[in-house]
This record gives sequence, structure tokens and C-alpha cells, in this order.
Amino acid sequence: MFKRILNTWVISLLLIVMVLGIFSLNIGAEEKVKLVYITAGDVNMLALGQHVIGPQFNEKYPNVSVMTVHTGPGNAGSRLIFEKIMADRDKKEGDIDVAMIHQIFLKWAMEEDLLLEYAKDIDTWQYITSPFAKKTLGVDVEGYCMPMFHSQTVLAYNPKYVSDPPKTYDELVEWVKDHPGKFGYNGIKGGMSGVAFTVGWIYWKTGKYEKYAVTGPFDEAEIATWEEPIKELKEFNKDVTLTGGNVATLDALNRGEIWIGPVWVDMFLTWKAEGKVDPATRLILPEPGMPGQPMYFVIPKNTAHTEEAKKFVEFVTSPAVQAEEIVKRFNWYPGIDGSYIKDFVPKETFDIIYQDVTPEMLSNYGLAFPLGDYFDAMLEACE
Amino acid sequence: MTNNLRSELVVRENETGVGVERPRSYTNILPYILVFPAVMVILLLYLYPFLASFWKSFISKEGVLSLANYEKTLRLYRYDILFTLGVTVLSTLIATVLSILLAVYLRLSKSWLANRIGILYRLPIFLPFVVVAQMMRSFLAPHGIFNLFLAKLDLINIENPLQFFNWTGLTFGFVWKEAPFMILIILAGFQMIDDSYIEAAKSVGAKLPQIITKILIPMNKPTILIAVTLVFCSLIGCFSFPYMLIGGKTPVTITVDIAHRVNYFGDYGVANALGVFSYIMVSFLAIYYIRSMMRKGLYD
Repeated sequence: MFKRILNTWVISLLLIVMVLGIFSLNIGAEEKVKLVYITAGDVNMLALGQHVIGPQFNEKYPNVSVMTVHTGPGNAGSRLIFEKIMADRDKKEGDIDVAMIHQIFLKWAMEEDLLLEYAKDIDTWQYITSPFAKKTLGVDVEGYCMPMFHSQTVLAYNPKYVSDPPKTYDELVEWVKDHPGKFGYNGIKGGMSGVAFTVGWIYWKTGKYEKYAVTGPFDEAEIATWEEPIKELKEFNKDVTLTGGNVATLDALNRGEIWIGPVWVDMFLTWKAEGKVDPATRLILPEPGMPGQPMYFVIPKNTAHTEEAKKFVEFVTSPAVQAEEIVKRFNWYPGIDGSYIKDFVPKETFDIIYQDVTPEMLSNYGLAFPLGDYFDAMLEACE
Repeated sequence: MTNNLRSELVVRENETGVGVERPRSYTNILPYILVFPAVMVILLLYLYPFLASFWKSFISKEGVLSLANYEKTLRLYRYDILFTLGVTVLSTLIATVLSILLAVYLRLSKSWLANRIGILYRLPIFLPFVVVAQMMRSFLAPHGIFNLFLAKLDLINIENPLQFFNWTGLTFGFVWKEAPFMILIILAGFQMIDDSYIEAAKSVGAKLPQIITKILIPMNKPTILIAVTLVFCSLIGCFSFPYMLIGGKTPVTITVDIAHRVNYFGDYGVANALGVFSYIMVSFLAIYYIRSMMRKGLYD
């Protein structure tokens, strides 16, 4: 008897909770817009969405709440976002409102015509001077994307062991001959810093950066000319420590297993700020240069919240947020023109970011990844 | 047969329900309803993707039926396929031998040490591969814990350390992670074997090696086979550990290659073809396993 009464009570309680839940959902939906922001990249990208730009945007626009979804680092993360938006393409209203993606995504998404042309409608378009916002991997993307930040690969070295670091790829090869095993990178399957080093190697050996990354067009005959450079790279690799990823390269630098290795500037500076890297470690961008890449905001064509999505992008690309969060907190180079944020950033921050790799070096040796077809061909040729 | 006995048999049959016609009702379709969800899950989430991946491995980039994906797979990744097979077979073999030995010890010994080991050995089972990978990365690194330990004992020079970021480290990690799981399964089998068999063997003069090879292993063969199959299959499909330990190197396991094809090229054709090679590797063991199970069913 007692058991039956108890059961009735429990069931009624569950029903009440359910009904209340449904009602509260409805009430919420009427009052607030939920903006779904999906981001690729490392966990720092999730932190940025969840703890920084999401809450700040909500503070400014109380009727919009931002839900951050994270897919994961590298091209794999962007690939997942692409597949999600592809799956939604025939829906009237897709699930995704704003996405944060890598360059390669733009190539995939532009081919499938998935993106909204929105960038020129928003206020902060006037601050964009980066060529990456107009053409990327050879694809015309002007108006479809806004760069949030730019990141660059460079060589990190420990001055304890390396007093006179190699300033060019040439010097690096000589240095590696004298110090076998003390240069380390993560190959082409272990993450983008390794890919960047490899691409830089081919630019250096062929001297055809302009053709491969800027002007194009794709010429299949070029592939045969990489045979010798790749053979030399494989020879070079014999005296090199191959690490297991971007993080593994930094770890190996820390443990003193390697003395020089390619890293992403932002990752390196963040680790340094957190005390995870030997503070003595320095950076250098070797001639003729290594690639870097921005990450972009895009808006799918079938978003249900176009206006809110545009406002969100506008908010994050405003000089104040770019200075405070993108540069100061996350150590990235800004997505908008650096001159607009100078007033918002203290001198020390500027010095930390541009200490080793100066803006001049960046503009001279900060390269782009190759055009899509060349990029694929290079990676495949290196297999 | 006397009438008495016959009527008794009839009663028995009635009691157990044999020969009694069941009422035709929903109970006839009930079994199908009950297995429907499980079968649908297998069909939709396992069989369909499996067949689709098999089929798509024969579809080239241009969308026509061809062997292009296999040509590329064999051209670029044949060493990786052999490497995967080699490391998996070696790891499974070492894990099997180790776990049988330890399971025998735990089965036969009643000491306090055996008790402690009996608790401790289970720990790695609960760690995901990605955690094991991070542990191995700091443990096996050139200046990692293991090499530093050896250097402190003056066994190696730390500037010329042992290199484990290759097949040796991979095998070590696989064995460390999977041997405990095998022990768990194999030990459970050993515990089903009655002491009287072991005592009988001892009484006719069997020594420990004979007890292991003539009594324990033969009587526990099906369980060992299950453990070997499960571990082999999970190692063939393991991605995070090889990716984190030797991701940038060649050769590397085919799971890393599959991820590379999908993430960098969006090339599902070659990724599927690589997948088919892993199905083939797994199927050898699966077929052997099913056949031996069926044979056992027939003659037991």
C-alpha cells in the first residue's frame, strides 16, 4: 500500500517537473534568441567562445544568448563544421548561425555555395586590410568571411643551446648537419606546424611562392618539379627528430630533446604566459618565410538569425574586442588592421607579441599556405 | 513399455509443455518484436555503414567504379598496412603470453602479493587510450621519465637516449593497456576450472609447466580466444595512441592515415579502401573465432 502511494507520488512529481520544463523552454524561446556559434580550433577557441566573447556579447545584447559548440583542432575541426552545414543545406533554417573556420573550409564551402555574403554589410569591414580576407587558397572570398585573428608559424629555439640561430632555411640545413637530432618537427600528419614547415621548404627550394600561393593557376606539371626538393627533405629528415604533434614539439623543446622546432606563435606565447615554456625560449621567422593562416567568421546562408549573427561578428571584429581579447588575452595577431587597435593595447603587450618577430619580418616572410590544389598535391607528394 | 510408464511419460510431457499446442496469439510475433530494436541497431549502425564503406572504396573521385583508391592505397600506404599488422600481431602476442602467465599466477597463488596484484592490475583497464597516450608521451620521451631513470643508474647517456617513439613504444603502450583486460577475461576462465583437475594432475606427477600447458590453457581455450580477438580488433582500430605517439612519422598505423585522408583531402575513397584492409585483417581472426566456436557447439 505504502509502496503504491509512493509510486503515485514519484510519477506525479516527474510529470510536474516535465510540464514545468516544457513551459520554461517555451518561455525562454519567446524571449531570447539563441545564437549557435560553432568553432574549430584548439580548446582555446572553445574557451574564447564560452567564457569571453559569448558572455560579453550577451551583456551587450541581453536578448541574445550565444551557445558555443566546439569541433576540434586543425582541418578536421573545420571539416566537421563543413559536413554539418552541408547536411543542413536543404533545410529552411539550419542549426548553425555563425562558424569559426580555417582557410580550407572556405574552399569547400564556396564550391558548394553554402555561405552568406555579409561582410560588407557590417560596420567593421572598414578595418579589414588583410589580403587573406579577399582571396584565400586561390579562392575569391571577399565579402563572405571576416578574419578574427591571424596566426603565424615560426621557429622557436632555446638560446641556452643555440646562441646563433639559423636565419634562413639554408642555414638551418647546415645547422642540422652539425647538430643531428636537435631540430624537431611533426611531419605532415601530426599537425599544421609541421605542414607549414614542409610547405615553407617547398617554397624555398622552388622559389615559386607567388605562383603556388598567390597567382596560380594550378599546373599539374609543377608536381614533377618537387621530386628533388622532397628527396632532399627526406634526406634532411634523417637528421631530424619527428615529433607527435604541435604540442609534442613544444614538449620536446621544453625537455631539451630538441633545440629548434616550428611552432604557432599564439600557442607558444600562451604557453609562455602560463609558464609552460622555458621563458628563455625565443622565436625567429626564417627566410624566405613560413606560412601562417587566419581563422574566419562565416555565416551559413540558411541561418535563422542573420541580423544577430552579423552583430556578433561585428562585435568581435571591433577594435576594442580585437585589442583586449584577441591580442592581449589570446596572443594572436589581430584579424583587422593592426593600426586600428594600437590605441587600445598597452605598449608591453605589443612588445611581447612583436618582440622577436617584428611587423616588418611578418610582412616580408609571413607567407600564405598554397592554393587548394597545390596544397593537396604537395601533401600527397610528401607521403 | 507398460501402460503405467507410458501414462507417466505423457504426464511428464504435459508438465514440461512439450507437445502442447500454444494458443495462437500475439506471443507468436512477440519474439520478433523483442529482437527488432537490437537487429535494427545492428543493421543501421553497423551493417549499413560497413557495406557503404566497402562499396564506396570502389568508387573513384570521378564517381565511377574503379580500383583507383586501392591503387593509391597500395602505392602510398602499403608499408603502413604491414606496419599496422606487424605491431598489432606483436602486441597481441606479447599481451597474450604475459596475461596468461599472470592469470596463472593469480589463479594458483593465495599469497598477499597475489591479492595486491589482483587489485592493481585492473587500473589500466579504466584509462582511455588518449590518457595512456599522454602518459606514454612523457614516460617514453627521449628525455622522459624512463630514460632519465636509466641515465641516473648510469645505464645510458641522456644525450644519446633510447628511442621509443616508434614501434617499440607503440607495442609497449598497447601491451600496458590491453594485457590487464586480457588478464581479467582469462583469469575468470581459469577460475571456472575446478581445483580437482589441478590436484589430480599434481597427484600423477605434473609439474607447473605441464599444469599450465596441459590443463589450464586447453580447458580455457575458448576464453583465451575471446580475449585475443577482442584485443586484436581494438588495437587494429586504435587511433589516438598511435596518432599522439608517432603521428608525424612514417611508417604509421592505418588509422592515422585514414584520419589524414579525411581531414586534409576529404578523400573518403582512399580512407574507405584503407578501412577495407583493416576489415580484412580483423576478419581472419573473426572467421577463425566463429569457426572454432561453431565446431565447439557441434561436438560438445
